[in-house]
Amino acid sequence: MTSRTDPSSLWLACPECEAPCRNRALPAGAELRCTRCGVRVKIASGRHSLQPAWAFATAGLFVAILANVEPIMTFEVAGDTQSNHIVSGVTELARQGYGPVAALVCFAGIIAPTLHLAAIWYIASACCLRRRWPAVHRVAVLIEMLEPWNLVPVYAIATVVAVVKLDMMGTVDWKAGALWILVLSLCSLSAAQAFDRELVEERLEALK
Amino acid sequence: MTDTARLQWAQAMVVTGIVLYVPANVLPVMTMSIVGTVEPLTVLGGVEELYDSGLWPMAAVVFLASIVVPFLKLVSLSWILFMHGKPVLQRQRSTLRRIVHSIGSWSMVDVFLLAILAAVGQLGALAGVKAEPGGFFFAAVLVCSLMAAEFYKPRMIWQTNSEQTP
Repeated sequence: MTSRTDPSSLWLACPECEAPCRNRALPAGAELRCTRCGVRVKIASGRHSLQPAWAFATAGLFVAILANVEPIMTFEVAGDTQSNHIVSGVTELARQGYGPVAALVCFAGIIAPTLHLAAIWYIASACCLRRRWPAVHRVAVLIEMLEPWNLVPVYAIATVVAVVKLDMMGTVDWKAGALWILVLSLCSLSAAQAFDRELVEERLEALK
Repeated sequence: MTDTARLQWAQAMVVTGIVLYVPANVLPVMTMSIVGTVEPLTVLGGVEELYDSGLWPMAAVVFLASIVVPFLKLVSLSWILFMHGKPVLQRQRSTLRRIVHSIGSWSMVDVFLLAILAAVGQLGALAGVKAEPGGFFFAAVLVCSLMAAEFYKPRMIWQTNSEQTP
């Protein structure tokens, strides 16, 4: 089988249902859809650069550090205060004997988002710097696997709900961490959006 | 892994998910004790509490994300798996699978919420949040439906009983 976006190949496999679709050159902005399931097989996006994705991923990685280090909120009841981090939820659940739930939170809230950004950063840098770095194809597969697990935006919503809930019982205050979580979700969404798979495959193909 | 094994794994995961959906919604997810009053909260109880305090948009988000989405996901997956091999409605099944895939992760809201509340609610007798077994079942339902969607590849929708590929 040839690469999915090898511009010279006659047939492309649909990324969804794997039906063969006839390849043709597209004018800018046009797209090729699978005749069987209707999913987009190829698009002439008109993007020429992966630098936006690279920039968002770099910013995101820095913000990820801040989002994990800064406290998210403080909660006060009758003079006693308590603040939290993303990781303190994980350790607390583990301490209470809910190890698997803690592992799920740790993976979807910390590990997967960071790895996802790091993988985008790695591929985008390789493409932008035109370097033949090792294991690029494996990392590209990793990005697709991790994308549904990058749940920082969901975490941001959960933070808002938590603040609303706690507000009924005591005094809650936002801390810098909450803002960083919001910025981190924007960064990862933008990086994923700007990370054009076809452009990446084309660039990687050219580096071979 | 053969496609038959994939199908069987996916079916097993969906059935497990449906079974666990019951305790996930009946058992309390957490106990909140604030200044003496101890209050066990189920997922639906948490939604009700938000609604009662007049925050209905918030209640709607949590209700959709943690009750409607997991339920719809399990129902859609069962239907897709039940229809496996039949040469009808394949395009609809394909679209449905994509929708389910993209909204599926929103049910994580409740798990994250539990983690955040457990972390801040450590003020001894004044305010304590304890995780309860419901949270475990809820997370298990989530993982089961995710695994089922992972095992059943979208291309398998297009297989018919007459031409099974190994």
